[in-house]
Formats: sequence, C-alpha cells, structure tokens
Amino acid sequence: MWILLLVAAALLVWIIAAFNALVALRVRVQNAWSDIDVQLKRRHDLIPNLVEAVRGYMQHERSTLEAVTQARALAVAAPSGDLPQRIAAESALSGALGKLFAVAENYPQLRAVESVQLLQEQLTSTENRIAFARQFYNDEVMKYNTAQSTFPRNLFAGMFGFSQAAMFTAADVERAAAAVKI
Amino acid sequence: MSTDSREIAFAAGTARPAFVGPRDRESFFDAQRRNRRATWRMSGLCTLAGALMGIPLALTITPLLYGAALIVADVVNIWWPLPPVFWQLSGEVARYGIASLESLLQGRFANLHALALGAAVMLFPGAALSFVLWLGMNALFRHGGVGGALLALNAREPSQSDLKELRLADVVQEMSIAAGLPAPRVMLIDAPGPNAAAIGTSPTDARIVVSRRLLDDLSRDELEGVLAHLIASIGNGDLRIAFRVTAIFETCGLLLTVINAPFGRQSHRTLWRIVRYGFAGSAKNGGKESAAVADILTRNLSLEADDIDRLFDSTKRRSILRSTRNFLLFPIFLTNFAIKMSLWFFSSTVLGPSLGLLWRTRKYLADASAVQLTRNPDGLAAALQKLAADNGPIPGGECAPHLFVIKPGASDKRSFDAQDARQIELLAQAWTASAQQSGPAVPQASAGDLAAMFKEAAATQRAAFSGDPQALARVNAFKQSLSTLDPALAAQIPDLANFAAARQGDTAAIARLLANRRQQVSTAKVLSPTPASAAQTAQSASGESAGIASSGFVGFYPSLKRRLKRLDRMGAHAEVEAADPKMRLVILVFSLVFGPLFLLLIGLFLLLITILVLSSLTFVVIWLAIIHQLFALITHH
Repeated sequence: MWILLLVAAALLVWIIAAFNALVALRVRVQNAWSDIDVQLKRRHDLIPNLVEAVRGYMQHERSTLEAVTQARALAVAAPSGDLPQRIAAESALSGALGKLFAVAENYPQLRAVESVQLLQEQLTSTENRIAFARQFYNDEVMKYNTAQSTFPRNLFAGMFGFSQAAMFTAADVERAAAAVKI
Repeated sequence: MSTDSREIAFAAGTARPAFVGPRDRESFFDAQRRNRRATWRMSGLCTLAGALMGIPLALTITPLLYGAALIVADVVNIWWPLPPVFWQLSGEVARYGIASLESLLQGRFANLHALALGAAVMLFPGAALSFVLWLGMNALFRHGGVGGALLALNAREPSQSDLKELRLADVVQEMSIAAGLPAPRVMLIDAPGPNAAAIGTSPTDARIVVSRRLLDDLSRDELEGVLAHLIASIGNGDLRIAFRVTAIFETCGLLLTVINAPFGRQSHRTLWRIVRYGFAGSAKNGGKESAAVADILTRNLSLEADDIDRLFDSTKRRSILRSTRNFLLFPIFLTNFAIKMSLWFFSSTVLGPSLGLLWRTRKYLADASAVQLTRNPDGLAAALQKLAADNGPIPGGECAPHLFVIKPGASDKRSFDAQDARQIELLAQAWTASAQQSGPAVPQASAGDLAAMFKEAAATQRAAFSGDPQALARVNAFKQSLSTLDPALAAQIPDLANFAAARQGDTAAIARLLANRRQQVSTAKVLSPTPASAAQTAQSASGESAGIASSGFVGFYPSLKRRLKRLDRMGAHAEVEAADPKMRLVILVFSLVFGPLFLLLIGLFLLLITILVLSSLTFVVIWLAIIHQLFALITHH
C-alpha cells in the first residue's frame, strides 16, 4: 500500500518535472522565433539608409535599387500571421540585396566611401544575425521536438497540448544572400 | 551521428571505389557530449585530489583549532569555572584523537571503528573550517568583478568610428545570437600578441577582451571562430568553474596568513586589508582592490619566506631571549612549514595536473560549441593556427592566464622585432636632429646612449604636457624632423598644442583629442622608452602569481595539434601532421627510465610530509598539554 503510494508520488513528481521541462523548451523556441523577428525588423530599418547612401553613385542601376525598395516594402507589408508569405517576401528581399551587393562590386569608388562601408558592414552583420538567429531557432526546435518524441515523454506530450514545432527552412535564394561578403 | 556517417561512407564506398576524408568523423553535438562527460570525470579526479590535499591540511589545522578553543576555555575557566561536563567531554575527544594517532603510528588498524571516529575528530574541524572559508572567499570576491583585471590589462572601449572595431562589436552580437545569450561587453587591448580572452566571475559580468592585433590579422570567418569559442566558454559556465577553483588557492593563502598573523607585520597588513575590503568591497575601487587582495593571497602560497620564517631566521644574532622564544614557538613554526610543504607538494603533483586536465576538457568543449555556433570549423582552425604562429605576450595577462583562447606567449626578445628596432632608430635620429634645431639651451644626451636619450625624451614630453614652452618647442621640432624621416610615424604623435588648448577649456581642441584617441594609444607605445617597458613586461611576467595556472607541470591549454585534430574530425580542413613514431619511441624510453625515479621522488616527498605532519601534530599536542597544565596550576591556586 505504502509502496504503491510512494510510486504514485514519484510518478507525479516526474510528470511535473517533465511537463515543466517541456514548457521551458517551448518558451525558448518562442523566444528564438521572436529573435528572428527582431533581426528582420533591423534589416527593414537599415535598407532605406543604404539605398539613400548609394543612390548618388549608382545612377545607372536604378532598377536594382528599385527592386530592393520594392522587396522591402513587400516584406514589411507581409502579414505577420501568414508564415509562408513572409518567408517568401524575406527571401525575395535577401535576393534583391544580394544582387545589389553584387552590382556594387563594379563601383570601386563606392567601396571607398566610409559611410557606405559602415552601412555595408551593418547589413552584412544583419544578414549574419538573421542566419544565426534562424540557426539558433532550428537548434531549439530540434531539442524541443526530440524531447517530445522520445520515450516516455511521448506518452503524454500530446495529451498536454505539446505539438511538434516547425523548422525554419532556407530557400536557395536566401542561402545565396547569406554568402555575401564585403 | 558518427555511426550514421560511417554507414553513409560505407554505402558510398560500394557505389564508388574510394571514400575521401577522415573516417572518424564526429558531429559537434557528439563532441560536446563527450567533452561534458570528460569534464565530469575530471572534476571527480579534482575532487579526489582536493580531498587528498585536504587530509594533511586538516590534520595540521585541527590541533590548532582545538588548541585555540582549549586556551579560550582555560582563560574563561579562571573567572567563570566551566561545568565539569565540558572538561569531561573535551578529555574524551582528546583521548579519541590520541588513541587513533597511536594506532596509526604503530600500524595497528585492528579497531576500525575507533580509527574512523578518531579520524573524524582529527579531520572534521579543519575540513569544515576550510570549507567555510572557501565559501567566504567565494562571497568576498564575487562582488569584486572584473575591474581589476581590466585595469591590469589596460583595456579600452572599442572606438565607434573604426570599421574593424565596429565589425568586432557586430561579430560579438552575431555570436551571442547564435548562442542565445545576452551579448557580453567587449574591450580592446593594445598588446603585441594577437589573442583574446573571456574574463569575469560569472556569465553576468563576463567581458570579452580582444587584442587589437587580432582584428588586423584575422578575417571575418576566423574572428567569428575565436569569438564563438569565447562566448561558448561563457555559456558553458567556464568562468564560474575557474572562479571557484581560484577560491581554493585563495583559501589556502588565507589559512597561511591567519597562522602567520600573531608573528609579523606583513600578515597583519594582509588581514587588515582583507577585512577592510570585505566591508567596503563594492565601493568604486572594489575591482582593483579585489584583484590586489586575491593576488596577495595566492602569492602567499609560494615557498618564499613569510613572517614566521623571518622570526626563525638563523642568521640573526643569537641571544638567550630569542632562543627561548624560538623554543616556545617551535610547534607553530613546524605547523607552518608542514602546511606549506604539503600545499606545495600536493598542488604541484596532484591537484594542479588534474585541474589542468579539467581545464583542457573545457577548452575542447568550447571549441566544439564554437563549431556548433558558427557551423564553420575551418574558421576556428585557421584562427588557432594564425594565433599560434604569431603568439606574443599580453602585458597584464598574468591576472587571468587561463582564460585566453590560446596560451599567451612568454614575453621575450622576439616581440622586440625588426620593425620596432627600425622605429627606435628613426626616433633617435629625429631626437638628435631636433636638439640642434632648438638650440643648445636644452641639456642633451649623447647620440649613442639610447636609454639616456629615451629618458630625456620622456622627461621633455612630461614637461611639454605640463605647459613648459621650451619643452613644447623641442617636441614640435622633434615632430618636424621625424616627419622628414618617416611621415607615417610622425602622424601618430598628437599635436601637443591641442593638449595645451584643452587644458584651457577649448572644446574644439578636446574634440580633436578625442578623435585622435586611437592614435594616442599607439603613440604612447612609440614614445615611451621602449627598452625599459620591455624590461618591465618581462619582469611582471617572471613574477607571476602562484595561482591557478602556474601550479603543476600539466599546462592548462591543450596543444594546438590536438585541438586541430579534433576540429578536423568535426570537418575542418586543417593540416595535421601525424605524430612522428621516432618521437614517440624517445618519449616512451624517457618515461620508462625517469618514471620510476619520479615515483621514488614522490614517495620520498610523501614520507617527508607524513613525518612533518605527524611531528607537528605531536609537538602541538605537547605544547597544548603544557599550557593547559599551567592554567590548571593558576586556577588551583
């Protein structure tokens, strides 16, 4: 009788601990997701400055600059709830930026301007930050999903409303953009 | 993961004839897991080593504690007679201790129960006191923070206008995002060697210190690797481990200071400083003071003479008074020596090496975590190779020699390279030329005497700073003649007129000075008497403290080859040459020949320490018995 009670108590303690661990992991996943948002926002804020700074030097590349501005507008306008559309818009923005940097290689005098250099550094860093934030998010998702689906937590994870989180997969365009270097 | 890749390799092997690449691939997750397990093993070893070191320590300290309690009880007993139960109990305790000591000395282990009880009586008070003191040291230095280390390293804030320093701040942010940690603050040091360290006592007050040359030498990928290593190390909690381990050495130093306290002024001063620091620790100067106090405590551990040794200095004139005093205080001298000897022996043969091994697993773990953060093992591998190839000294790095990415190089003549020599020659030429321009009124050193010339230059510079017009003219002439020799070097020297104007409160001049801040730093390096400063750094390096990293013969940094090998297994393309079989044979032969000798030496030392500890115990017990009898005589009369 006592032994049964003891076992039941131990089981309860274990379930509580496992539940709390899962909740903590879920919070980390959500937090990681919002970190990506912060970095995307930072990129949106930087782009107008960059476009202004290079406009004078790149008179002949109006279409490239237009594409960046437009892609940014689309990315900003994308509804935060609609994940696929947002990812698509951000990927398009990364692509446009990548093209801009590639074109800027043809303007040596542009690379000598300090303010442009600083902006380019900031933008490169932002691209990296987005990539790293996504990497961190994916790592956390992996931990969370593994914790849910391994025995014996998988027996009750679904019961308490834990579900598998989605990985943030990179489109090929975005991968190309992440490779941009000064 | 490793089995997976092996299977894939196998499958690929069936399709294509050859599989290129290392077979023993390891994912960074596996590497981290393995290194965490290794850390657990090593901390077990360290605990064991600490306990082993604690036994002689507790055996020597406990009798002193009992003695102090007995004397207090005797004094109290004169005025307020204590109940007989107390004396009965203390007699009981003494009997247990003596009985167990006796059985130990005679090699009789028949009565295990009594032996265990006696051991508890003999060991527990000392061990408990050490533990409490260790907790106290932890609490005392926790609030000290990193200010002292930053001052010692002469660290500065990164400039907002320098592209490379901005990039450093960006990379730190990126790596913190990758690790999911709040970004630590970054400071720069203008040291001759490219290196970087994470200093602090816990993740919350951690700072990353980067030498400026690192930014000039490394590419962005390599910089990412180095910073990922540091941030991973912070995230893994290495700082806390290092802090606790340092506290062990500080505790030992404190114990020695306390034992020395009745006999000399030096330990009085130290104790008083600790107490004052303890009460006013978090005041504005706390960081510097905490570093200084910690340094004193760990320095105490070295085998140098301290107060008690000075008291017993045999070279002094002999007199009856001194001989009597020495005879009376002999047990204390023996105890002090026994503690020092056993601390030195155990920390250099047992505790030091196991701490070194523990710290190596932490370095490997940080490497593996860095690969997880950057997903680019090549960056870190290339950076490590570059740093090791051009390893220079870090002035002030002795305050945290174990926290760098790679072991900071010793300061030697090599750092004083050809470029510096050329610069010095140019400076000397310009200085002699300027002397002729500004007239004979200024006293001048002969052209050949470099040291005197630099001394004179430094004095003139100081005079110019304080507004002496003649000195100012001389410095300006110097600058002019230097600009004809080497314009780039001359550009690094700030316009002293700015300083004069700034002193008058000219805001524009202050702004100009701020803009020139970075150049100033390098100017200080150029203008200061370089041979003297090189000698100074050499001196500070040789006088390193007896703290965590200098004890023991096992280094705290894994070798570059091993680190590269592990990075290679995680996918880096580092060139790692295989170990030379001849070299291995030589090492084997050497260890076969010298191993037994070494073991014999260790055995001899153990014997010596046992004799020391036991005789100190015996003498202290006899001493106490005599004192107790004296008190008993007083009370009975």
